Amino acid sequence: MTETRTTAAHGGAIGMHGIKKWFGNFQAVDDVTLDIRSNEFFTLLGPSGCGKTTLLRMIAGFELPTEGQVLLDGVDISSLLPNQRPVNTVFQNYALFPHLTVAENIGFGLKMLGKPRSEIDSVVNDMLKLVHLEGRGGNPVTQLSGGQQQRVALARALAPRPKVLLLDEPLSALDLKLRKSMQMELKRLQTETGITFVFVTHDQEEALTMSDRIAVMSTGTVRQVGSPWDIYDRPAERFVADFIGETNFLEAEVVAVSGDRARVRLSSGAEIPATFPADVTPGGKVTVVIRPEHAQVGAPSPASVLRGIIREIVYLGTDTHFHIRLEDGTTFTVRQQNARSGSCGFSKDEAVGINLSDDVAQILRD
Amino acid sequence: MSGAQEAALAAQKQDIRSRWLLSAPALLIIFFAAVGPLLVMLLYSFMAKGDYGDVRFGEFSLEGWVSVFFQRDIFDDTLGLADAHLSIIWRSLQLSFFTTLLTLILGFPTAYFIATRPPHTREIWVFLVTIPFWTNLLIRTFAMQQVIRNEGLLNNALIWLGVIDSPLQIMYTDTANLLGMTYVYLPLMVLPLYASIEKLDFRLVEAGYDLYASRLQVLRRIVIPLVKPGIIAGSILVFIPSLGAYVIPRVLGGGKNMMLGNLIEMQFGSGRNWPLGAAMSITLMALVMVALIFYVRNASRGGSSHV
Repeated sequence: MTETRTTAAHGGAIGMHGIKKWFGNFQAVDDVTLDIRSNEFFTLLGPSGCGKTTLLRMIAGFELPTEGQVLLDGVDISSLLPNQRPVNTVFQNYALFPHLTVAENIGFGLKMLGKPRSEIDSVVNDMLKLVHLEGRGGNPVTQLSGGQQQRVALARALAPRPKVLLLDEPLSALDLKLRKSMQMELKRLQTETGITFVFVTHDQEEALTMSDRIAVMSTGTVRQVGSPWDIYDRPAERFVADFIGETNFLEAEVVAVSGDRARVRLSSGAEIPATFPADVTPGGKVTVVIRPEHAQVGAPSPASVLRGIIREIVYLGTDTHFHIRLEDGTTFTVRQQNARSGSCGFSKDEAVGINLSDDVAQILRD
Repeated sequence: MSGAQEAALAAQKQDIRSRWLLSAPALLIIFFAAVGPLLVMLLYSFMAKGDYGDVRFGEFSLEGWVSVFFQRDIFDDTLGLADAHLSIIWRSLQLSFFTTLLTLILGFPTAYFIATRPPHTREIWVFLVTIPFWTNLLIRTFAMQQVIRNEGLLNNALIWLGVIDSPLQIMYTDTANLLGMTYVYLPLMVLPLYASIEKLDFRLVEAGYDLYASRLQVLRRIVIPLVKPGIIAGSILVFIPSLGAYVIPRVLGGGKNMMLGNLIEMQFGSGRNWPLGAAMSITLMALVMVALIFYVRNASRGGSSHV
């Protein structure tokens, strides 16, 4: 395992410049420019059909961009065939070779690269250890469980020590518990090997858990790139805010702008500070997002930022969700952790006030 | 043994009995339609030949079996190898082998091509492959004759192109047999190959390319092992009828290039040697059996874990 760590010096950096991809009349990718840094765990996140898999397949070489360039460490690899790119893929359904054993699957890439038998054997052994499948090398892959097949697929893609590892929704076929443990496993492997991981998923939680940075995609375009914190707490636009987690959208008016903060007036008349992604001008109408867990329910008072009536209380074990109808008719959700046992102290149709934690509002672009 | 156990055992016996009873009609049909004629043939092969064909019933003789492989010297009655028979058997085996090989070489790319078309156009291609089956074998064979005869399409085209000056003698050679059988049996290779290539998971091909395999390596290491069942099925479907081919060598091969089928026909016709014909038929079946066992064992050695 130590060899693996030391020999995989550093992962490659991927540059995608002005990528467009048409399938007949359908545009799968529309002018995407992305820079994926060396050694990072980068996630392409979006709903199905947003072009994330197409983007991944263009890095792998299975699809050629209609326009634009794919760079690896600054070198244009757009026209290279998949077998000429130092990039390996973990396929969605693993795509293990059913006629080969576990060890033969893992060693396949090295064999094709013409490595000597002894080297293949030693790397395969390292890989089996790395993915906790010691002693299973001789098994036919068809006899393995889903989780084990998943790990063979990982080992097979890692064995040739690619500069970049591409993962196409590799966890989607696993059950919840296994998925959780594989998430940690993937993160560990990425840190241990130092290989750049490009991970495709539609599962926001998966993306937030593992990624160094996330690109949120929709209808063939990249909507926002940033750390999980950026994406969750500072969504730049409605699609991102809506796609990641639950959120509240409030109409507001900009009162003042200073530095990177603006003051906005909510419909209740309260003024709160908000961060913003693009230029806003005083007097402009904007939409502000506030995450449910950043608000607290309390007794109504003149100091409350928002006021409303509880329409529904949903008890979720760890949390309680309050669905509150505000005075202007919009619904606002508050998530409160159940720190104490027993009743939450509020009841349906009760008039309440809502307070916000500091600096939690974000103005959306456009 | 408890009463319950006894009852269960009795029920099981009853069950077995009714199972046999229910399958009796099928078993009877199999016996009379398949096993029966074979038994008749086996019986005939051990009898003395009649003077005008047929056999002399009740007169046991090994002459039929002996003369499959041996012939009596016309002067001193000593046994020597039946060169004519053996060379025909050998030719049949060779021609069948090369027919199988040729149909595989031609059929594989064809089947691969069809399997990689979009689903709705695949059906059209498969349909086109089966069109020759609509026509009688004899007519197809005569059509082939029109193509390869001295003044035929092929020779005329080659002369017109200036490749050759005088027509190639293809008719009445082994080449004619080979061409004819390849043409006639090609669909039998294409269809099972298509069926198994169509089931091939092309993501495995992608995975192969992803793991640095070249086209040839993907073909050799991934595609061929995975479609092996189709290759074997196609080979069996082509090899068996090739070995017993009758019409094609009769029309295209002429008298000098007989195959086993023609030799057997001769014994029941002008040869008036039914015991020999029967013995040869059984020999042919034995050859097919040996070939089948060879294929099946070869098939189970590798790639059997993949179904």
